Amino acid sequence: MSDRPLNKGPHDLGGTAAGPIDTTDHGMKFWEKQANALRSTLGLKKIVRVDELRRAAEDLGDQYYKLAYFERTTMALRTLLLEKGLITEAELKAKMAEVRGRFDAK
Amino acid sequence: MSAMSDTAFDYYSHRKHDHEHDDHAPVAGEAEGPPSDYEIMSRAMQELLEAKGVVTAEEIRRRMEIFEEEFPYRGSRVIARAWTDPAFRARLLEDGKAACAEMGVELEATRLIAVENTPDVHNVIVCTLCSCYPRELLGMPPTWYKSDNYRARVVREPRSVLKEFGTVLPDNVTVRVHDSNADMRYVVVPIRPQGTKDWSEEQLAEILTRDTLVGVTVPQAPGKA
Amino acid sequence: MRSKRTRTRKALPSTYTPAPGHRFNVGDRVVIKRAFPPGHRRTPCYIRGKEGVIERICGAFPNPEELAYGFDGEPAKVLYRVRFNQKHVWPDYQGPARDLIEMEIFEHWLAPASGRAQTAGPTQSG
Repeated sequence: MSDRPLNKGPHDLGGTAAGPIDTTDHGMKFWEKQANALRSTLGLKKIVRVDELRRAAEDLGDQYYKLAYFERTTMALRTLLLEKGLITEAELKAKMAEVRGRFDAK
Repeated sequence: MSAMSDTAFDYYSHRKHDHEHDDHAPVAGEAEGPPSDYEIMSRAMQELLEAKGVVTAEEIRRRMEIFEEEFPYRGSRVIARAWTDPAFRARLLEDGKAACAEMGVELEATRLIAVENTPDVHNVIVCTLCSCYPRELLGMPPTWYKSDNYRARVVREPRSVLKEFGTVLPDNVTVRVHDSNADMRYVVVPIRPQGTKDWSEEQLAEILTRDTLVGVTVPQAPGKA
Repeated sequence: MRSKRTRTRKALPSTYTPAPGHRFNVGDRVVIKRAFPPGHRRTPCYIRGKEGVIERICGAFPNPEELAYGFDGEPAKVLYRVRFNQKHVWPDYQGPARDLIEMEIFEHWLAPASGRAQTAGPTQSG
């Protein structure tokens, strides 16, 4: 930690200490495939650039280490959609409550 | 939407041969529990964007389908062609995107560099900074490729990482790691195993699994020890 | 840069783009800048300050450091692939001296390597 250079993002992992690799491919849940398709579609339409998504994930700071891959990408997309004014925090909060309600009702 | 995922599962079982699962594509995700906040958030963002006309449900569905049913199977076909056609192999190594386009494999924005394994050189691919991967050629990357531990260790101790995948290389073979950190994407052209001389491209594509094209394993001809 | 195709039919899309005015050539010894600016960078920290050799010129591409913040990344910057000996990157590298690592580095992160060359690594073809 004392040797860590300034401005090294949480994503800059090459060469850092790490444990054994889980070599099994655990695949993707349905929502993850859908999230990937959403990101890809937004990219094709040039609404969101992959560079912006990367930057938003990197800016998660220490939270980066606590999140799984698709959790990071979801948070990054949230940041960008808010930044670009495509959604508001209030809209997102309300829609999340609605979506949660539908799942709970099942 | 659940009908869509049923179709995808059926497609995989249709493609099964002797393998326990399809080694060309990511496996179906593990048992789905109650949705996490992130799943809720992702779904909510998608619905808001659909309501605002930014994207349509059909566009998302079609994109999911392409990722499931097309992308994962292209890489093995391209490399199988390279194994059987030396002139195509040379063109692939010179300009990966152009060679793929020749075969009707349009890589969209991806710029592809093919790196060949030889008796002297073994290539392995990583993106330490995120998860860059030639998705239009190989489909979605496996979970291990995106894992922090792979990203951290394969650049610094590639031989010990390869051992974790069951791949052991002698010291007289150069291990060449590619960190795909900018605009290029990479695919490995593995060494064609002995005993496959009369195989069709389809048969060759079967043993060119996703892991061999990233470089953590080497293709096995069934029947070999 | 790769040679132009001689096909007469409709041009195929290429991996590479032109790189007019590129500063470095294949085979040049270079050093990666030892700098740690804030913000989005595609030069991993582990390679900063290390010496390598230009392996190929990829072309010129919009600067990701600008794209990340919504700018257009123009003017495009020349992107190179640089080859390094693992032993020159990691002091404790466990494998043989022949092992290599390669990645893409933008021109503004490169300077000519100066002084005595590091112990020459094995030459490898593509």
